[in-house]
Amino acid sequence: MHKPLDGLFISTREQIDEEEQRIVNTVRQWADREIIAKRLAYLENYEHEFAAKRRIILMDIGLQRLVLSEVNGGFGWNSNTRAPGLAAVLMEIGRADAAIAYLSALQFTTILACAAEDTTFAGALISNFYSTDQPVNPALILPGPGTLDEQTPLFFGRAINVRLVHESESNIVIGKNIRPTGCGAIADHFCVVCADSSGKPMVSIVSADTQGVQKGNILKETGLNACKNADVTFNNVKLPQAAILEGNEVVERIYIWLNLLLAATSVGAAMNFFEIVYDWANTRTIKGGSIMKENPLCASVLADVAEEIAIARFLTDDIARLIAMMASPHSPELQHVYTMSQIVGYRIQQGTLRAVNRGMELMGSAGYAREWHAEKHWRDIKTIQSYLCGVGAEVPVKMDTARFFFDCKEIQGGQS
Amino acid sequence: MKSIDDFSRPEEYISPMDKHFRSVVRAWADKDVLPHRRKFDEDWKDHALIEPAFDTLMANKGLGIQKALFPADLGGWGLGQSDYAFTIACTLAEEVGRADTAMAVAFMVTYWPLTTILVEPHVNRRLAAQFAPMFCKSDKAVFAALAMTEPQGGADIENMELLGGKTIKTTARLDGDEWVINGHKLWPTNTAGVGQLFGVPCTTRLGSTDPNDFALIFVPADVKGVTQGGPYEKAGMAADKNGDLWFEDVRVPDWYRAHGPGKDAQVFKEIIPWGLVGSMGFIVGAMMNLYEVLYEFVSTRTYGNRPLKENDAISGLIGRIAGDIEVCRILAYEGARIGDRRNRCYGHPLYSEEVLAKLRNLKDFVCDRAVENFGRAMDVLGVYGPDREYDIEKHWRDIKIIQLWMGGKQLCQMEAARYFYNCKTL
Repeated sequence: MHKPLDGLFISTREQIDEEEQRIVNTVRQWADREIIAKRLAYLENYEHEFAAKRRIILMDIGLQRLVLSEVNGGFGWNSNTRAPGLAAVLMEIGRADAAIAYLSALQFTTILACAAEDTTFAGALISNFYSTDQPVNPALILPGPGTLDEQTPLFFGRAINVRLVHESESNIVIGKNIRPTGCGAIADHFCVVCADSSGKPMVSIVSADTQGVQKGNILKETGLNACKNADVTFNNVKLPQAAILEGNEVVERIYIWLNLLLAATSVGAAMNFFEIVYDWANTRTIKGGSIMKENPLCASVLADVAEEIAIARFLTDDIARLIAMMASPHSPELQHVYTMSQIVGYRIQQGTLRAVNRGMELMGSAGYAREWHAEKHWRDIKTIQSYLCGVGAEVPVKMDTARFFFDCKEIQGGQS
Repeated sequence: MKSIDDFSRPEEYISPMDKHFRSVVRAWADKDVLPHRRKFDEDWKDHALIEPAFDTLMANKGLGIQKALFPADLGGWGLGQSDYAFTIACTLAEEVGRADTAMAVAFMVTYWPLTTILVEPHVNRRLAAQFAPMFCKSDKAVFAALAMTEPQGGADIENMELLGGKTIKTTARLDGDEWVINGHKLWPTNTAGVGQLFGVPCTTRLGSTDPNDFALIFVPADVKGVTQGGPYEKAGMAADKNGDLWFEDVRVPDWYRAHGPGKDAQVFKEIIPWGLVGSMGFIVGAMMNLYEVLYEFVSTRTYGNRPLKENDAISGLIGRIAGDIEVCRILAYEGARIGDRRNRCYGHPLYSEEVLAKLRNLKDFVCDRAVENFGRAMDVLGVYGPDREYDIEKHWRDIKIIQLWMGGKQLCQMEAARYFYNCKTL
């Protein structure tokens, strides 16, 4: 490519300070040298290579401690103002492998939503998980589909399938065959949205080795294949009070961070897809000799690819800026940021997937072959998109949006 | 409960044989494919699970459907002489595609090159008799392939209207009473060791656009000089093996050419409508299975503590999906009927611009709807969408390549523009 990606897909990098830019540059070098330059070898021995390359970025570069507080031996990127920097880091990782970025996104989300300022007991608990010299795998259990045979507490219409019972000064987590958003089989800990007997949403942090935690069989899923998923059962799992965070706000913060960080992950993957398509369109001919990119119909498809990625990157920067503003006195209320993150997050996943879908049209069968790597980005982004929907496609996000902008009062339960 | 059979078709077009074909193939799919298909992805290289299912569909010890196109006096079922050949093909594509679109394409592509010598009005009796035993007397599934795509040209070979075959690099030279073939093909369905007979588009004069220089020659896989590479690893479509195919000084009798100068170019153009109708059938079959899975999910899982399907907003989504399946099925059979009208006074020849443009248009539309609806359905399932146990994600991966193959979306658009707007230089 003649132009650097940053020159093509403009980013409002004035939000990022020098320290953040240094980290971004380091991660980019890791992506280029360790994965992108060795794509075929990486894919041929994926499980081993994934673990090895992830270890480099988490332990050698130190990203496992990126959002831990300095008190806990981290880099101290544990405030909302770090949102633009964190998004930029995840874009670089996502460009190499969305699955590695995905795991980091779950880790960052858990820490930033539940323990951002480290003022809670949960903060210390979560920090403790990551203060190790081994890569740690997080998993997230969000509200999602309910079942006909059980009325559950709701988080804006989505079923909360895990219950928290207070019993003689103990907190007991109960849930059967609960589906995480990826990583359930490999999780070292779970960040679980649950509800107490009054139906109030809360979040519990559950170590995977706690008595009563049972993981099911590994699931075969579309993408993010290194993030092996499995259903999990919480069979009367006892938790200390420090592992419980109460209130809708914590859940909203989870969605806010998740939308930003997974948007960055998908934009990163889409940018690498752009590089692949760029190479393809510059070297392939159609109609017996014309360079593909010089054909007006193909060029219009290429334009779609670039347009979707450019817009998705702009929107990612915007939502990062909005989160960063939450630290200021002029911050919009949490509900507003939550709604915007949902709107923008959904739009970014749609846009990046459309970019890849359109680009694959030009690559023909090669777009579908493992060898070219385009199909991996396609599967990974689609998996992220479906996870984020939770249930009912875009409907829950639309209901969130209508509720906020039009003061809808009764749509939560789905009744009209 | 409504069933997949409640999606509309133009009933007056449907073959009298439809009910019988549909019932036996559906029973085969329910017994031999649906219980196993979630393991097919890991079986992409060996076909240890997939091959037995092909045998019970195609070979004599099963339904024996691989012989269907051959004339009855040669041991076949004579479908090549049927006025409903396209419509039946659409039915078969639909029923097998419901179970697994990759199996559908591998099975139907076996017919593809054979249509040029077995379907009226172009029956080549000598070649039909030559190849009938291979397909009609076997207790194993026998696959044929149409080896079109070449490394340098991609889909150019299918753009005969514009390029007239000038980009073809696979050559056929007549040496006495034998053709000598040299070339390299990519991606044909039923290669990588699977195919036993290849239909090979060649040129007898490099760079020529003269239809007389286009040759379609049949090459058995066991002829000296034919080499099949290993299977490509793909995003899906595990039951369909694709690989490289090399022809190095391959010699076959001169009468293995489908029809001869001029006529070969015509029958090659006629192959495209078969592929387009088949593609629509695969897609519609997969969409019907999507409906089955989605019906169950939206009836048993909830949003706001009510069944998903009873939520007004979600019903808007799933209603659109069902509506699109309905429309796509009607279009697929309309496309099939365009093919079956080829010999009628009110029809058009398969090689005509009209048939090609209209069928490409229909295939493009059906593929677009499928790509969107499978993606949307995965999102309705949400966190369960990427799970193979729910089958939709497998179809989502599989059907994407149907949109990409045969020149993909852009060639469909160009053919439509060329026809409907009288474009001269596209």
